[in-house]
This record gives sequence, C-alpha cells and structure tokens, in this order.
Amino acid sequence: MAAAAAARRRAAAFLFSSAVRHQSSQSTAAQEGLVAKTSLTSPPWPEVKLPDPAEEAKYHAEVVQKVNNMIAAGQYGRLFAVVHFASKQWKITSEDLIMMDNVLEAECGDRIRMEKVLLVGADDFTLIGRPLLGKELVRVEATVIEKTESWPKINMRFWKRHNYQRKKKQTLKR
Amino acid sequence: MVLLSAPRWLRSRLSDRFWRVQEVLKYARHFRGRKNRCYKLAVRSVRRAFVKSTKARKEKKRLLRALWITRIEAASLEHGLKYPAFISNLLKSQVELNRKMLADLAIYEPKTFKSLAALAQRRRQEGFLAALGDGKEPEGIFSRIVHHY
Repeated sequence: MAAAAAARRRAAAFLFSSAVRHQSSQSTAAQEGLVAKTSLTSPPWPEVKLPDPAEEAKYHAEVVQKVNNMIAAGQYGRLFAVVHFASKQWKITSEDLIMMDNVLEAECGDRIRMEKVLLVGADDFTLIGRPLLGKELVRVEATVIEKTESWPKINMRFWKRHNYQRKKKQTLKR
Repeated sequence: MVLLSAPRWLRSRLSDRFWRVQEVLKYARHFRGRKNRCYKLAVRSVRRAFVKSTKARKEKKRLLRALWITRIEAASLEHGLKYPAFISNLLKSQVELNRKMLADLAIYEPKTFKSLAALAQRRRQEGFLAALGDGKEPEGIFSRIVHHY
C-alpha cells in the first residue's frame, strides 16, 4: 500500500517535472520491482543515439581516403560545380553557357576564374563547402564569349482616371 | 522643317501619323480581336500589357521562390525530413546553397541531395542531444519533490 502510494506520487511528480526526473524515478522503481510502461515513462520524442565517436572518426577517415584516391587517380567522369557569381548561384558543368546581367571588366575571349565555389560533385562523390571550398581544391574557369545589351524592356506605370502614365525604356548590359 | 512664322505653324498638320500609330500597333500584333488592328482599342490594351508586365516582373521572383520551396519540400519529404528542419539544419551546418540551387540539385543530382538531407538530419539529431543535455539535475539544486529511497 505504501509502495503503491509512493509509485503514484512519483508518477504525479513526473507530470510536474521534466524528463530530468525520468531516470531517478525509473531507477527507484526498478529497485522496487517492475513498473508498467505508461505513456509517461519515456519522453514523447524518439530517443536519438549518435554512433560512437571513435568508430565514426575511423569511418570518416576511410571515406576521405577513398575520395582522395579517386580524385588523385582521376576516376571521375563529368564534374559539376555550384558557383556564386554575379550575386547569383549557378550550377555549371563544362561546355555550359551562362548569361549574366552585369558588366565585367574583361574583354571578349578572356579567360575568367570563378573563385566562389560552393559545391563540387561527380557521379560517386560530392564535396560540400561550408560555405566555400578552398581555392587550391577546385578550379572553375570560363571564357567571355560576347558582351551585348538586352532588348529594350519597357517599364510603365499607369493610374486610371488620374491622367498619370509614365513609360521608360530600360536596356540592360549583358 | 523649320516653320518661321505663326501662320505657318497654325496651318501645319502631322505628316508622320502612320509611324506614330505603328509604334503602338507593333506591340499589339499578337493580340486577339480588333485590338490588334484598331489604334483606339490597341492603345488601351498595349498600355495594360506594359503595366502588367512591369508588375509581373516583381511577382515572378515571389512565384519562383514559392515553386522552389515546394520542390525542396517534396524532395526532402522523400528522404524523411520536413522542409523547415531541412533548411534550418543546412544553414546551421554553414551550407549556403540557396533555394534555387537546392531545387535544381533535387531534380538533377539526386545523390547529392540525399547526402545534403543526411547532413541536415545528423545536425538535427546533434542539436536535439545538445538541447537535452545530460539528463541529470544541475548541482546544488534543492528540489521540493522528496524521494524516499
């Protein structure tokens, strides 16, 4: 009777306190005997267990070694890269064409190196930068093909019944 | 031509009306009905078309972002993660890919997207464990609930 009262008080105590209490109540209950599993014995979220750090470090080192070997041996096909250029992010491969709305200080036919690389991927591995990859690791180069202007885009504002209209032509440099 | 006196000005009439009208009608040639031929109707339609296109340029950015978010959500649900969890954990892991890129990777590079989802999931679990702590009471706390050992 006293044991049942203690168990009930402990269950009620669990309602007020957080999961911090959970271990102490379980250990004392295990000392007394088996307590039934209720909806409040364990927290409602699934228990998360991370793998052992030492084993994980070994596994990571193996994977990194494999990828390094693949890169050194050149066992990758077509590579793609995610590059931050002209305030936009582009996913590019070789023989790709990009059009940007900006002025570059390079002439037509110049080679350009894009330095802000966020991600490089091949078929079997990906290198994810946090946030950027090193400059010695990846090299992305491009050629400037042409410098044009866009077709004249029209910006128009109009309010009805107020005799207000404004029309402006805008040509962007591309 | 230079019209040097007032009587000459008063008697002058438009000589390039055709080209002024064509400037407007050229933007209306692909419209439906009489507004692709008749100037009076075309002026109104062309004006509305220009205003709608200027406003649509701002809306397009919103629409595209919503589309990317939908696609990323669908792809991350395939890997068992919800969109807010995916994005927030990616940002916490200092991966600064924007939504356009994530949507493109989800479509064209599924293996890369899977690895990003795994990264986000792992960061999420580490965050939970860091929030939960040891599971022990802080020291020196005298709680009001009494244990009978």
